[in-house]
Amino acid sequence: MTLLERDREAPSAWKGSLPVTSRYTYGLAGERFFRALKDEGKILASYCPKCDHTYVPAVNFCERCLSELTEWQDAGLVGVLHTYTLLFVDFEGQPLDEPELIGFISFGDGGIIHKLDANPDELEIGMPMKAVLKPQKERSGSILDIRCFQPVNK
Amino acid sequence: MNKEVAIIGVGWSGFHPSTPEVSYKELMYAAAVRAYADAGVDPRRDIESFVTVAEDFIEGTSIFDEYVPDQLGAALKSVHTITGDGLHGLATAYMLIRTGVFDVVAVEGHSKASNIQTLDSIVGHAQDPVLNRPLRLNTHFVAGLEMQRYLHDSGSSLEQCAAVVVKNRHNALKNPLASYSANLTAEDVMQGPPLAWPLGRLETATPVDGSVVIVLASGRKAAELSDNPVWIAGMGWCNGSASLESREWSTLPYVEKAAQMAYRQAGIGDPWDEVDFAEIDDTYAYKELQSLEALGICAFGEAGELLMQGAFDPYGEFPVNASGGSLGVGHLLDATGLHRALEAVLQLRGEAGAHQIEDVHTGLVQSWRGVPTTSAAVAIFDNQEG
Repeated sequence: MTLLERDREAPSAWKGSLPVTSRYTYGLAGERFFRALKDEGKILASYCPKCDHTYVPAVNFCERCLSELTEWQDAGLVGVLHTYTLLFVDFEGQPLDEPELIGFISFGDGGIIHKLDANPDELEIGMPMKAVLKPQKERSGSILDIRCFQPVNK
Repeated sequence: MNKEVAIIGVGWSGFHPSTPEVSYKELMYAAAVRAYADAGVDPRRDIESFVTVAEDFIEGTSIFDEYVPDQLGAALKSVHTITGDGLHGLATAYMLIRTGVFDVVAVEGHSKASNIQTLDSIVGHAQDPVLNRPLRLNTHFVAGLEMQRYLHDSGSSLEQCAAVVVKNRHNALKNPLASYSANLTAEDVMQGPPLAWPLGRLETATPVDGSVVIVLASGRKAAELSDNPVWIAGMGWCNGSASLESREWSTLPYVEKAAQMAYRQAGIGDPWDEVDFAEIDDTYAYKELQSLEALGICAFGEAGELLMQGAFDPYGEFPVNASGGSLGVGHLLDATGLHRALEAVLQLRGEAGAHQIEDVHTGLVQSWRGVPTTSAAVAIFDNQEG
């Protein structure tokens, strides 16, 4: 039998899976960012005076100059719609019953990826969008404490 | 011109949507045997070092590098596997030879995509676990966001993106390695099912199985072994800011930097004038336009118009993805850069058959590791006949 000739009697494949479960430590900056989101309902930024660059979500070092960042700021809950997409498949690649609107909302020089609650036709790049937070007692300190972003005038 | 390292042999296997009859080892073996025969080398005697590219989760095996030596003739030899695109592997092999320690090095990459039952989930786990993954979004959303902003800033149109698919899948009709050759119209593409609007399903390359092996040699050894060496005139690679929160959304600064690194080594000032053809990223149709601009083939916002004028057709002024690209041939996961390198080598040897471009001396190859990465590698090949 040559290498590319199929033996029809042969078992075709063994099936197996690779389970992976991890903890993902937020880190010093992440913990402070998510604590502020959970407890105070705030989106925090950090500022690099050397590069004049505002990081959202806040980080504790500047990826441009590697300085430690110590100036933390409240970025507010209103950002700008930088780009968006209407997603038709789920995490595993299966078709979604209802497509999901996803956007990148810019804050400072960074921003947040999240779901959008809007009519796709009313969206325009550059329009202001506000974060809709879960009620405080439902917040757990994660990106899901933001329920979605909505056009400001909604 | 840089004449330190040459490609002296290429081999491939597979290039089918599925290859149920062979294991990944047999795919690698078949490609390796072909490459070694092409180079005229005995792997056990002549090849001193081996580089492969692979990703454990894609392979479904931890510490996958343990499984690569046997089928390449690399057991009890210097061998290592890196996680990167095939062009990163090629760059590594290039550097191994430039150290002066090795004269002949082989590079391997493969895709056994048809065995992967959960590709979207694996790619999904490349998202930031804290900021992005909790949203449980299919990673194609990153391409949808990027395409939307690219169209907005560059003025490129949906029709122009669809025309990339039409061109590449039509080019693939002449390439026997291609699995997805087709005669489509831009209308067919735009009316196809949506994936991450404005991105459509037909604008997204489909994975195929296959393996590519490339044999490299030092200038001295190439002169001894090869009648038709293809020289590596320059190689560059670069990564951008990986986080979705701080990356650029309409331009590809990392592709630009990788290209500048390769152009500098190759002594190329104006790629439009000095390069004859390119095999570049078209994992998503808009990426071909965006990459052409980042590579400096044309200015930002110009690629779509040039495409519509036919400049990037096989008989145009600057043929791009004459092979059919990943849209026409299929996407070989991390072996994709080596597929493009293979196509460029065949062109520069005049062995590309029905899709041979006339009178080519210098070729450009570029690759990207797909969403959600900001990775780029660029190679310039030259047959020294110019």
